[in-house]
Order: sequence, then structure tokens, then C-alpha cells
Amino acid sequence: MKKDSSANKKKTVTQRSRKILPAVFLLVSVLLILLPLEGPVSSMKAVLSYVFIPQIRAAHGVVEYSKDVNETVQGLLNAHRENEELKNQLREIQLENAQAREVFEENKRLTQALQLKPPLKWKGIWAKTAYREPSQWNSVVVDKGKAEGIELRAAAVVQQDGQPILAGVVIEVSENTSKVLLLRDEDFSAVVYTSQSQDEGLLTGAGAADLKLKYLPLLSTVQEGEQVYTSASSSIFPAGILVGQISSIDRDDDFQSYLTARVKPAAVSGTVQELFLLTRPEGSAK
Amino acid sequence: MKRIVKLILFFMAATILHWAAMALLGNWDISLNLMLIFAIAVCAFLPPAYGYPTAFVSGLFLDFFGVQLFGQHAFIFTLCACAVYSLENRLEFDSVVPQMVCAGVLTLLATLGNLILLKVFAGFSAWNGIGSFIGGISCSILIAPAVFWAVRRGLAAKGRTY
Repeated sequence: MKKDSSANKKKTVTQRSRKILPAVFLLVSVLLILLPLEGPVSSMKAVLSYVFIPQIRAAHGVVEYSKDVNETVQGLLNAHRENEELKNQLREIQLENAQAREVFEENKRLTQALQLKPPLKWKGIWAKTAYREPSQWNSVVVDKGKAEGIELRAAAVVQQDGQPILAGVVIEVSENTSKVLLLRDEDFSAVVYTSQSQDEGLLTGAGAADLKLKYLPLLSTVQEGEQVYTSASSSIFPAGILVGQISSIDRDDDFQSYLTARVKPAAVSGTVQELFLLTRPEGSAK
Repeated sequence: MKRIVKLILFFMAATILHWAAMALLGNWDISLNLMLIFAIAVCAFLPPAYGYPTAFVSGLFLDFFGVQLFGQHAFIFTLCACAVYSLENRLEFDSVVPQMVCAGVLTLLATLGNLILLKVFAGFSAWNGIGSFIGGISCSILIAPAVFWAVRRGLAAKGRTY
């Protein structure tokens, strides 16, 4: 009984509010429309500004934030694509690394079977060019010396596109600096071999001109464009470091007893900034 | 009391979204009246004691930015609330189609009502072109189910609209 009476009461209130409320609000809004914009309406607007301004500021924040959403989404998509590409590259590199490890192990086994002296691993240290002497442009002084394990006649290598390239040889060592003689210097020499004809010769510097590759056999089939690498016969340099490529061969002299070729060095002497100085590998004789 | 607090929070969220939608859709010359959809949704699911004040205050929020007339939106929104309460027995607001139809028709009528009120009381025409008119109504129809869903989910009593 009590429940019914309270439900009836609620219903009556709802029915009353259904009639009164719209009438009140319509009346107020008509009054607001009819009133001049100055005076009470302007005061009401001022009061409302305290209520509505924070929301408008927040809305502006939303709009400003959403302006960058497009770029952010684009950036995320690009990062996702790059991530996929890098993952693929990493998988390929891991595969290549595994293959290289296998080849290395096979090489070790074959070397042992043939009772050859195992190839020495390259170890070294990166050094920065400290300064150049104006009178000796074909040499540089680097910021590493005896303290870092650099020894006289250590090979200096630069790296281009991930490949080591012969740059010079250490000719003076002090406690904290070393002087490196670059390839172009006339005092520089190294035993090298050509990649296809497999002929060995003596490479010497020739100043501003291309390097000289002397003592090639007369019947050598060496061609222009062949790569030149340091030879295992060299007492200073480890074998297999790229030096440059044959730019020309001198075959005109009828009385020569050997061939001479010109080699364009792969390392650019003028721009050498950092050098990898090879330290003596463990187990090698001093 | 809890419902009043919730309603105030929903109203504030609606004002923020309305302003943001106006700024974003303004790039395509579309004026979406999100406050009207919100007021209709509140009237569809809440008793008149909540619906009419919400409609009136939502209208006042839009009037706040007007410079020609003050109270026209409040008037139109109150009329729309009357329309929703008179239709509640004929339309099932739990379904999406009645929600979209109601939002579309009332947006159309409210836009026309605003134009008439402005012309009568301020002698000013606020016609923004057929593109803006149709775009606004289309957006209202599309967004109505989401607004109705949010209001029903957040404000309406369980089991019964009210």
C-alpha cells in the first residue's frame, strides 16, 4: 500500500514536471531573446563565461593535440615498416654470420690438416688524426702511441663501406702519439698482389701521381681495373687488405725486364681523419 | 545526487567534444550540433526533471557564443526536449534507427528554427549553404547512436530508461 502511494507520488511529480518545466524554460528563453543584449544579458554572459571557458580551453587542447595525430600515426607506421625491414636485415646478417662461422671453422680445420701457419687475427685500435705537418703532407700524426700498444711499422687502415683499406704505416712512435706514413709518400713500400692475375709486386708511393707497382712478371696477364691487395709475403701488413686498383700498365718499353703498373689508391690521403692501427696479434713473433 | 554529478560531467565532456568537433569539421564547412544530440539523448533516457534543464543549459552554452541573439538555442533546445518527451511512447530509443531518425529530424528542425528566429528577431540570415546544412544533419545522424549509447550507458537507470 505504502509502495503504491510513493509510486503514485513519483508519477504525479513526473507529470507535473513534464508540464511546468518546459513552460518555465520556454518562458525564460523567450525573455532572454526579447531582452536587449546589453545590461542583464551581458551580465549573464559574463557569469556563464566562468562556467564555459574552461571547457572551451580543453576543447582547444583536444583540437591542437589531434592536429599532430596524423603526423604521429604516419611516424609510427614508418617506424613499424623500418622495424620490419631491419628485422629482415638482421635475420639475413645472422644467417651470413652463421655461414661465416662455419667457413671459419672449416678454414681452421683445413689449415691444421695442411699444417699451415694459421692466419693471424687483426686486432688494433682506432686513432684520430691529431695534426699534419705542412712540410710533410704525406704523413699524419695520430693521437695514439706506445701507451695504447702501438708499435713501429704497424699497418694503418681506414674503413670505407665496411671494407678495410690500407692507408699507411707507422714510422714513428712516442708515448701518446704516432706518425703514420701515407701510401702516396715515395718512401712507402709494400708487397702486394693483383686480384685476378695473382701476380706479386712491390708497391711504392709516387707523390701526387698514382702509386707504382713494380717488378710484375713480363708475361703477367694483369689488366686495368684489377684490385690490388696486400700480400701474405709482406712482413709488415696482414694479407688481404685492399690497396687500390690498377689504373694503367706500362708495356711500351722493349728493354724492360719486368712490368710496371700504376695503382690508384682506394684511400684518399687528403681526407684521412681516423685510422685503425693494427697491433701485433697474439702469438706472432716480434 | 550521483546522477546529477554524472550529468554535469557528461555535459562538460559534451561541451568539450562539441567545440572540438566544430573546430575540426569546420575545415570541411560542416557544423555538427553535438550539444543538440546530447540533449536529445538525455531526454530520451532520463526523466523530464533532468532532460529539460539539460536541454536549456545546452542551448545556453551555444547562445553564449552568439552575438545577434541570446536565448534562441535555449528556446529551440527546450522545444526539441518537448518533442522527444512527446515521442517517447511512440519511438523505441533503445534501437539505433529511431535514434538516427530522431536526431536527423530534430537537427533539421532546430536548424530551420534557428534561421527563422534569427530572421524574425535580429533580421539576420545565418544560412551557411546547402553543403554545411546537409553535412551537419548527416554527421548528426551518424554520430547519434554513439552519443545515445554513451548517455544510456553512463546516465540511464538499469532495466528501464527512467
